Amino acid sequence: MNDNIAIRVENICKSFGDGDSFIEVIKDASFTINKGELAALVAPSGTGKTVLLMMIGCVNEPDSGEMWIGTEKVFDNRWLTKETRKIRREKIGFIFQAHHLIPFLNIINNLILLPQTNKTDEKTSKAEARKLLHYFGIADKEKAMPSQLSGGQNQRVAIARALINNPQIILADEPTAALDTQRSVDVMKILKKIALEQEVAIIMVTHDDRMLPYCDRIMKIEDKKIVFV
Amino acid sequence: MIHLAKEDIKHTLGKFVVTAMGVGMLLGIVLIMMGVYRGMIVDVEVLLNDLDVDLWIVQEGTLGPFAEASRVHEDLQYTIESLQGVDNSSAITFQNIQLPQGKSKVRVFAVGYDVYGGINPINPARLVTGRTLATDHYEIVVTDKTGFTLHDKIQLGRNIYTVVGVTHGSVSSGGDLLVYISLKDAQELQFSYSNKRIQTDRARGIITRDTHMVNAVIATVKPGNNVENVAGEIRKWHHKSVYTKAQQHAVLTKYVVEKSSKQIGLFTAILIIVATIIISLIIYTMTLEKMKEISIMKLIGLPNSTIVRMIVEETLLLGILAFMFGNIFSHLIYPKFPKRVVLEIPDAWMLFGMVVVASIVASFIAVKKVINADPAAAIGD
Ligand SMILES: Nc1ncnc2c1ncn2[C@@H]1O[C@H](COP(=O)(O)OP(=O)(O)O)[C@@H](O)[C@H]1O
Ligand SMILES: [Mg+2]
Repeated sequence: MNDNIAIRVENICKSFGDGDSFIEVIKDASFTINKGELAALVAPSGTGKTVLLMMIGCVNEPDSGEMWIGTEKVFDNRWLTKETRKIRREKIGFIFQAHHLIPFLNIINNLILLPQTNKTDEKTSKAEARKLLHYFGIADKEKAMPSQLSGGQNQRVAIARALINNPQIILADEPTAALDTQRSVDVMKILKKIALEQEVAIIMVTHDDRMLPYCDRIMKIEDKKIVFV
Repeated sequence: MIHLAKEDIKHTLGKFVVTAMGVGMLLGIVLIMMGVYRGMIVDVEVLLNDLDVDLWIVQEGTLGPFAEASRVHEDLQYTIESLQGVDNSSAITFQNIQLPQGKSKVRVFAVGYDVYGGINPINPARLVTGRTLATDHYEIVVTDKTGFTLHDKIQLGRNIYTVVGVTHGSVSSGGDLLVYISLKDAQELQFSYSNKRIQTDRARGIITRDTHMVNAVIATVKPGNNVENVAGEIRKWHHKSVYTKAQQHAVLTKYVVEKSSKQIGLFTAILIIVATIIISLIIYTMTLEKMKEISIMKLIGLPNSTIVRMIVEETLLLGILAFMFGNIFSHLIYPKFPKRVVLEIPDAWMLFGMVVVASIVASFIAVKKVINADPAAAIGD
């Protein structure tokens, strides 16, 4: 087992419905992503990008196949742990098109919510959160509510939230779709930097060709399988 | 530590407080009703304790005179007094009458007693001014809440009565204000208050005008005599029902208080259920409004316990806040109640216990919603 591998997927299948409504979205997909790699996932709408991300993210269960996160095998035709949520909060960071911050928590509390669940003490997690806010240039916003921040600022907080637990992988589903070009490029630079500096594997779904130069590899979904171009 | 419930409530504070006030009013009414019940129990004992006699002799086969009508001849008091072991004995009447006061009327409960007898039913400790009755005509002792004061003149029937004494806190077992008049006057009033037909029948001699009836004879027992034995003797030889003070107390509690307690208990239960439903609906809608956030929390890996705790704590906080408003509300309005309301701390704690249980029950559907929420739901379009 190569310990440089961050994500390994073997013969993953996923279908929905039955009878007339049966659709097979992913069939026998296999691939690996290395640590520190920023991979773009590019495919037309409705081809299963989100479905794939949700399986890798241990949110939705594949029908069959095998999956590893780092060296830990998490799926072998069934979840190998009852608590997939524990894997999510310890090893995976999520970023979405919308920031999905908790509206009734201020910025710093949004960030330390997960570390606290992981039993990190408040002082340590707050220090970590402030470091990230500083890094993203919004250090003065820690007491603000999400509703008081701009879209770009909130998306940066969302990225900080995905990072704060030092995840092994980050799954980003169209993180720049709601941002203008300048903001999108900023986010790309941040993701690129994180991948390099923290050896995090990132899979990012995007429709925007202008973001591709920042990515190390480009994945596509063809015939329900993953291909690299 | 982030307190999710606190932060969420802070975010929707106005709505939360207004809801708590609304539920608080319901709980306040529950407290008042418990207080009314406590008041009834207090009222039941006032007259009984003021009289403080050992025996109540009433019409045979009745639960008189409070729970059931009872009529015995006034001469019975002499028979009873002559019995061995009996110390004092007195005939007594009870009736509801209306005292004219200005243009309106005050409903009172009149105790008629033998002014020259051995037992004075007026508790001297309650007498604030004046004296008890001294003659057996047209004198009246009233309780202060009737609004009358010493030396007031009151028209009753064809006669003018003078207030010779004022007591404080005298009420009948039903909570009516008490007045005291002489036995003779009471018997006279009972006649003039009967309906027209009985009056004319009596006037025509069809029914003999019998003003020598009373409702009960009360008696005290000489020290050293067993009250039960004396009661047994009267039952055996004089064909009357006899109750000791404890038995009379039991009768009053059973017939006067128990029925009301069932009613009040039922109302309390209904109000608690209504409060539970309101709390659960509010918490449920508050949870529905947060479904997207809850999905996200689950998706990024927060355990159910964290989210469920937020919901249950919010429900408990709502319940506790409502309970506090309920206490404030009940203390503000209870003096305005015509009936005696006794707010007792143990009752409030009991209600608090019920509110806590109700809140936990009320959070059930919202908690179920949380547990079933799909973490992937939030990120759909
Ligand atoms: N929970 C579901 N039930 C049924 N069909 C689903 C479900 N989730 C996704 N699909 C289907 O899977 C396909 C891929 O969806 P998705 O991964 O969201 O596409 P995209 O590539 O645009 O992210 C779509 O045809 C969608 O209708
Ligand atoms: Mg998608």
